[in-house]
Amino acid sequence: MTQAEIKLCSLLLQEHFGEIVEKIGVHLIRTGSQPLRVIAHDTGTSLDQVKKALCVLIQHNLVIYQVHKRGVVEYEAQCSRVLRMLRYPRYIYTAKTLYSDTGELIVEELLLNGKMTMSAVVKKVADRLTETMEDGKTMDYAEVSNTFVRLADTHFVQRCPFVPATENSDPGPPPPAPTLVINEKDMYLVPKLSLIGKGKRRRSSDEDATGEPKAKRPKHTADNKEPIPDDGIYWQANLDRFHQHFRDQGIVSAVANRMDQTSSEIVRTMLRMSEITTPSNAPFTQPLSSNEIFRSLPVGYNISKQVLDQYLTLLADDPLEFVGKSGDSGGGMYVINLHKALGSLATATLESVVQERFGSRCARIFRLVLQKKHLEQKQVEDFAMIPAKEAKDMLYKMLSENFISLQEIPKTPDHAPSRTFYLYTVNILSAARMLLHRCYKSIANLIERRQFETKENKRLLEKSQRVEAIIASMQATGAEEAQLQEIEEMITAPERQQLETLKRNVNKLDASEIQVDETIFLLESYIESTMKRQ
Amino acid sequence: MAEVKVKVQPPDADPVEIENRIIELCHQFPHGITDQVIQNEMPHIEAQQRAVAINRLLSMGQLDLLRSNTGLLYRIKDSQNAGPVSFFLSKMKGSDNQEKLVYQIIEDAGNKGIWSRDIRYKSNLPLTEINKILKNLESKKLIKAVKSVAASKKKVYMLYNLQPDRSVTGGAWYSDQDFESEFVEVLNQQCFKFLQSKAETARESKQNPMIQRNSSFASSHEVWKYICELGISKVELSMEDIETILNTLIYDGKVEMTIIAAKEGTVGSVDGHMKLYRAVNPIIPPTGLVRAPCGLCPVFDDCHEGGEISPSNCIYMTEWLEF
Repeated sequence: MTQAEIKLCSLLLQEHFGEIVEKIGVHLIRTGSQPLRVIAHDTGTSLDQVKKALCVLIQHNLVIYQVHKRGVVEYEAQCSRVLRMLRYPRYIYTAKTLYSDTGELIVEELLLNGKMTMSAVVKKVADRLTETMEDGKTMDYAEVSNTFVRLADTHFVQRCPFVPATENSDPGPPPPAPTLVINEKDMYLVPKLSLIGKGKRRRSSDEDATGEPKAKRPKHTADNKEPIPDDGIYWQANLDRFHQHFRDQGIVSAVANRMDQTSSEIVRTMLRMSEITTPSNAPFTQPLSSNEIFRSLPVGYNISKQVLDQYLTLLADDPLEFVGKSGDSGGGMYVINLHKALGSLATATLESVVQERFGSRCARIFRLVLQKKHLEQKQVEDFAMIPAKEAKDMLYKMLSENFISLQEIPKTPDHAPSRTFYLYTVNILSAARMLLHRCYKSIANLIERRQFETKENKRLLEKSQRVEAIIASMQATGAEEAQLQEIEEMITAPERQQLETLKRNVNKLDASEIQVDETIFLLESYIESTMKRQ
Repeated sequence: MAEVKVKVQPPDADPVEIENRIIELCHQFPHGITDQVIQNEMPHIEAQQRAVAINRLLSMGQLDLLRSNTGLLYRIKDSQNAGPVSFFLSKMKGSDNQEKLVYQIIEDAGNKGIWSRDIRYKSNLPLTEINKILKNLESKKLIKAVKSVAASKKKVYMLYNLQPDRSVTGGAWYSDQDFESEFVEVLNQQCFKFLQSKAETARESKQNPMIQRNSSFASSHEVWKYICELGISKVELSMEDIETILNTLIYDGKVEMTIIAAKEGTVGSVDGHMKLYRAVNPIIPPTGLVRAPCGLCPVFDDCHEGGEISPSNCIYMTEWLEF
């Protein structure tokens, strides 16, 4: 775990879960897997608090546990999983685009709570949706369950591993930590529940803060009377599936940019057909025949079979090499070259960074060295048609930033510099790793700046919150217009301006975090795919 | 044997006549004559007189002295050289043999020119002598120095009236040893615009995709014709020049190239294949990292919380937030 990653994890844990969890989490990330007592001793927190913090972390799948020999249970933090917390908004947005508001809220609840039973999710989501609907309408549980089942069918949510029910009671003492198992087939199996009911609207109360627990308590006691039918079957969001979806999106948009809309629709169809059949880290999708593709095209697209064949041939011949032809049966078998596609996207990211940071002439040199693999100084100048002095300057600048590296080829055994060839080359994997590290640090900087901005204006924010509370309470008790006006004027115009600026800045920083996260996703997918191939 | 050859003393004991006889002999044997042959022809002349005559002919430049395996050969300088020889003679009257040697070496180098160190190797003369001779020749306007574009310190020498070769001057992209960047840039943009408009028209035609794609391609020959007709270049550009410009467009990521097999006779095909170029769009928009100030920050490595440069007081972020 690099320093930048640890910093970022600590910021995320602090923002989402608080100081104590952050301390324990960062300690675990830094030191690897440790037993309970060692954690308590090293961080100086009481055993009780450590236990609670670990509970939170395990619930959210950020920490796993293992029983080692001699019965010691060790806890290990998963740094990469912590970094996924940055991507939660993107997951929720994807669910919204695919399954509309219901799907969005289901995924949001699952992400915020780590693991939940299906009935709990359905109830909560129904209640939330009912809040937003007009008076008199309520959300039916059945509809929410349907969306949930659809999410499970397309593998966006999956079952958590559970404790296997032991057939014969074990005579010996129970193991210190349960071992969780999950069967591949059962992962997406939705239990047969008959959830009948409608979402309950929260009774309107005086203030939001106090209203919540009051309304919650009666509901909660009502629940306790009926046994929960699917106790023990917990669901979590399947992040790998979301990642697969993002990767498909990236490929489709790349094809749309390079060719036209119809080609991108064809590629989207092919990817959709291989969603379930191809494992997420395979280099190629399963071969699909052109007849199958023709049948599975979305209804709106009525292009003839010949035109489809032509498009497929064009896609297969394109220098991008995203689509390849693997055979001729069934009208032509086509595969999508996932590894190559990820490589092209990562390379394009690198090129874009070089272009923005150093200028378009540097980008030209970078692409040149990328294509020709190894080049001498003189050859770079000749091919790129850039004067020698400037070309030298740019090459050294990129060299110092580690985008380009030098390969020495000595002519004599004594490696004398005057008798050695020096070739410039680009090592994509190491450049991608370097850029990834920079991304992590950038996001950490953005988060810190956001917290700083909020802290600066804390006084003002508190004041505005108080004023809002007062106004709300006065509205509830039916105050007059004039009084409301007076209270509103407690916030002066420049202060209002300041609040506006603050809100805008915080939004901008948030949006920027999500954009940098997109780059992180592309680079991480490429690195992962390359490491698996080796 | 008391046969005494009665030599008819021909009246050619005169040195001039000896020379004329030698010249006649040389004309008879255009490939050169050895000393032995001269001796046979004029047996009555002593070796010393012969030597004097030959030396005079050599210094006058009418004979060439060559070495062969058998010995020394004297050859008449042929009439082609006679013209410049006389001109040369008039110029070189005061020069010595060394200069003639150097001049000959430079002449042999043709229009590629020759470097001073190479002259030294070929003539075995010391460096100081070479430099003096070169200066002398230059002042007499017989040779000139041309700066090589490859190594700017290196000077190659060639005859005054020769055109330097392309490899020395750099061809169409160099004018007086200066790389013409603006010229290259202008050509770059013009080619790109041509390809872009071709792709646009192809896209708008909305026919079936195969035809659309094929019509968006332009061969290097078409681009060459277009650029020639535009007339923005004062220098004549060849198809290879245009192809180097198109290659720079490929490295800019704006153009892609394919090679197709073409019949020999079709216009623009080289060795049975043609290069086709097409304008393309980049496959991703500028990536997320560069939209944040940290992606482009020059002091990124110095930035950490609590230091002089930190996210809290970053001026780049402040400016960026004010947009």
